[in-house]
Amino acid sequence: MQEDITNTFRKAKVGEKIEYTGSMLVMRDIAQKRLVEIDKSGAALPLDLNGQVAFYAGPTFAKGNMVIGPTTSKRMDKFLEFLISKGIVATVGKGRRTQEAEVLCVKYKVPYFVAPSGCAAYLANCVTNWEIIAFEELGPEAIYRIEVTGFPLLVATDVFGKSVF
Amino acid sequence: MAQNGGESMKTIDSKIVYERVCNALLDVNTNIDPRVEKLFENYDGPFAREIKENMNIARTSKMPLCQDTGIVEFFVWKGYNVHLTSPLKDTLERAVREVYTGSGFRKGIVSDPLFERKNTLDNTPAIIHIFEIDKPVIDIWMIAKGGGSENLSTIFMLQPSESYENVLKTIVNHIENNAANACSPIIVGVGIGGTSDKAILLSKLALFNPSTIELLHRYDEKIGEYSQMANELQERFSNLKIGVQGLGIGPTVQRTNVLNYPTHIATLPLAISVDCYLSRTLSVVIE
Repeated sequence: MQEDITNTFRKAKVGEKIEYTGSMLVMRDIAQKRLVEIDKSGAALPLDLNGQVAFYAGPTFAKGNMVIGPTTSKRMDKFLEFLISKGIVATVGKGRRTQEAEVLCVKYKVPYFVAPSGCAAYLANCVTNWEIIAFEELGPEAIYRIEVTGFPLLVATDVFGKSVF
Repeated sequence: MAQNGGESMKTIDSKIVYERVCNALLDVNTNIDPRVEKLFENYDGPFAREIKENMNIARTSKMPLCQDTGIVEFFVWKGYNVHLTSPLKDTLERAVREVYTGSGFRKGIVSDPLFERKNTLDNTPAIIHIFEIDKPVIDIWMIAKGGGSENLSTIFMLQPSESYENVLKTIVNHIENNAANACSPIIVGVGIGGTSDKAILLSKLALFNPSTIELLHRYDEKIGEYSQMANELQERFSNLKIGVQGLGIGPTVQRTNVLNYPTHIATLPLAISVDCYLSRTLSVVIE
């Protein structure tokens, strides 16, 4: 199943729109910083990143929904190689990344997708389930696993070296 | 009206201020500015459906337009003779606390910015600026300021002899290099003159609606507006082709305002602030 997703991702060409159904790991600046620190200390990570999609976001909860949308990916570029080394197969966020990050996307065949930003009420309807995986005390900055249906993604950097920006 | 030391004082009940600000904070996070909605009427580029439907869903469901409901900034113009029944800062912070915790808006403020970064859990403190004016009103401007656009704020301390053309280029370069990270079509606010802090403040005020900005000159006659410069910038921005969400199609900048202030003979401060396409700014006047 996860292998199929990885293959689909790797075939995706820049500018292509995908309606993604599956799971994602929501994580942003501080959670990734903590994961790197835990890994450096030699301890086990509180979650398995292998085969997962990382979604750079910080949700809020309104009217029984998880209201969510992408945050600026560029701030996460310094953690990208770490995530890839732990098996992340794609990243989702918003905006243009650094050239260094784009090189990593191609080298390790890990495409970068953008999701529509400033569209959180719409995306809330695509999230069917969620749970906190780590760092609950961080609130919107915790790591969540979410299940999504028909989640709109656009290929921003494909594995062939093309970028939409 | 009450008399106080011979001066005519006007008393405004802080409960009214609280209620009006609460309503405005709900409104600004869920009801899209009609001019922004109109801007997208003919847009059919990437994510057109999501962007348009989001505006409808937020309006009807009262879910926020964006998960980043921002840090709330207030710019308050208060009559010197207006007496409030509670401290204004308390009233404004109570309103933020009530609306953000009660409506499921994101609690996105951390205390101790460098080390602990611990979430305050109620989206306070707000950023509050209070200015005294010679009118018997209180005019409260507020912006739900997202972090993505705020990260584009910048200040250049240029030389007084700098050419007009280079000032334009400095602004255009900054937008060209960064607009793709701030949810375009963005609003660009420019502040020129004053001191570094004054210029930044002017650039923030420049993010408000033109009809709101018009009031500025009545509140502080030394604040000027460079309309022609704003038009020239807007024209240059139209050539950037960064587009909606940075994806190359549609407008890059929806509006530009340039405000100015007297400055020191040795300085030419230039500040740039940016707001995201949702333009979550609003003002309430209480008389």
